[in-house]
Amino acid sequence: MPPLPYLLRLRLARYARTSLCSNSCLYNALPPVRTLFATPPSLAKQLPPRRVVLDSEIEENFLKGSGPGGQKINKTSSAVQLKHLPTGIVVKCQETRSRTQNRKLARQILGERIEELELGEQSRTHIKAREKSKKKSSADKKKRRKYRALEEDRKAMEGEVDDNEPIEEGESQIMKGEHIGEGKIHAPG
Amino acid sequence: MPRLPYSLLWKARAVDHLLPPLVKQCRDVHAAQNELRWLRAHADTLSRPNSKAHDGLLRKMVEQRSTGMPLQYILGTEFFGDLEIKCRPGVLIPRQETAASVTYLAQLLQRAKNLPSQLHVMDLCTGTGCIPLLFQHELHAARRDIQVYCLGVDISTKALDLAKSNLRKLQKTEPAIVPNLMKFMRADILKEPDNDVPSVLPSLKAALELNRKPKQWDILISNPPYISPSAYWKTTTRSVRGFEPKLALVPKAELGGTDTEQGDAFYPRLLATAVEIDAKVVLFEVADLDQAVRVAHLARKTNAFDGIEIWRDQPDQDDLEQVPENISKDRSCFPIIGAGNGRSVLLYRGVGASWLGMPAPMQGTLEQQQVSL
Repeated sequence: MPPLPYLLRLRLARYARTSLCSNSCLYNALPPVRTLFATPPSLAKQLPPRRVVLDSEIEENFLKGSGPGGQKINKTSSAVQLKHLPTGIVVKCQETRSRTQNRKLARQILGERIEELELGEQSRTHIKAREKSKKKSSADKKKRRKYRALEEDRKAMEGEVDDNEPIEEGESQIMKGEHIGEGKIHAPG
Repeated sequence: MPRLPYSLLWKARAVDHLLPPLVKQCRDVHAAQNELRWLRAHADTLSRPNSKAHDGLLRKMVEQRSTGMPLQYILGTEFFGDLEIKCRPGVLIPRQETAASVTYLAQLLQRAKNLPSQLHVMDLCTGTGCIPLLFQHELHAARRDIQVYCLGVDISTKALDLAKSNLRKLQKTEPAIVPNLMKFMRADILKEPDNDVPSVLPSLKAALELNRKPKQWDILISNPPYISPSAYWKTTTRSVRGFEPKLALVPKAELGGTDTEQGDAFYPRLLATAVEIDAKVVLFEVADLDQAVRVAHLARKTNAFDGIEIWRDQPDQDDLEQVPENISKDRSCFPIIGAGNGRSVLLYRGVGASWLGMPAPMQGTLEQQQVSL
């Protein structure tokens, strides 16, 4: 039998494993397939849905100077100011040159602010910030651990060189490797 | 212009050493900071950040801006609704108020049930081509069943070149813009069609025949030059006077008449054109509420339109301002919609009323309508 194309084998194998025919002849006849991804993607915890702000609750204001408009002046400001009438929160956005983009951005920011007010610690922004700080702290911890281990190895090496007579290059390298391995095992977690 | 206090300039310099020249032009630190951010982002796209070329480029752009050159000419683009329109010296920069009016008109037409399968839209004095491009983008995106055929007309070849280049640029990114349904044409719209001597610059009627375009159009939009000579010197900003084409701002002096009449010089011809091409919906931009009322009265005199409305800067918003005393007595005649300065005049007749979602026009002349109301 000529080998089946990769994608077809993959699909067959998945079908065989998931369906009831797992102990059928089809499953046994198939060679083992390596998938492209060994681990399934970790699904992050679902964030609460975005707070949608109704247009009827908003008072929108395009901040313009008083006086003539149209052809007579050439404005570069496209600032948008939103006021949420029930809560009185005011948001101003002049991030981009496009007024339509500023309007979208301002609504997004306003939605976040209102959510923070309503849900407090459970709001999207808080959850995101917490997750970020958690990731940061775990990354920092890892970094500290790595450099501590390296430092200890260096110290151990220095001690070794001081103690022993100079040896052949090939041997010293093996020694180094051994020591690094040990250092890693004994390093405090 | 009042002199800026030194303390303000020092404050600006503490934030960024390139800020003071911009503050002189913007008169406000926050606005200057925004402009500097956009200029820096533009310099980033042109050269490698933190290189000598980048510094020099940014410094040069700030210098240009401090002489009063509009930011849009330096950056090369301006946002008009959702579209990023190219701008070049010699062609008027699109204004946000125009975009608001055009978007609102497209929104009104989106809901219409009896639009023809091909809608013919003509824009006179098109400039960068921003109005037909935005109109087609807005309406075609919402109503895929309708072909929006647009024609932009201008007298300036510079403007027409830029409009065509804008079409080429936007057709790549915007699926709602159909290049086959967007044309630009040169014509002198002030030339009377009857006494047209064959010349390089044809009248609108002659140009339509020459280019084999249809004679009837459904919608007419125009943002003509509407500033009177005295208002040009008194009310326009230095950056507009110094850098934007006067051709697009002030009607030619040969048209004669008083100062105000010269400012309004395009509208009689535009109204006549609207009748000639049998437009059902007409939208003209104006300078302010006074001019809007003058144009509305002119339109009423033609007896060709069933309805006249005046739109402010943001026609989709509620009226927050009081109507001035001298106009409020006219208010019963012309409904004024939206918030901000008076910005445009909307005229409609026949089926146009139902397209816009207005109550169907009553039979009879306009005077009878007024009485019955």
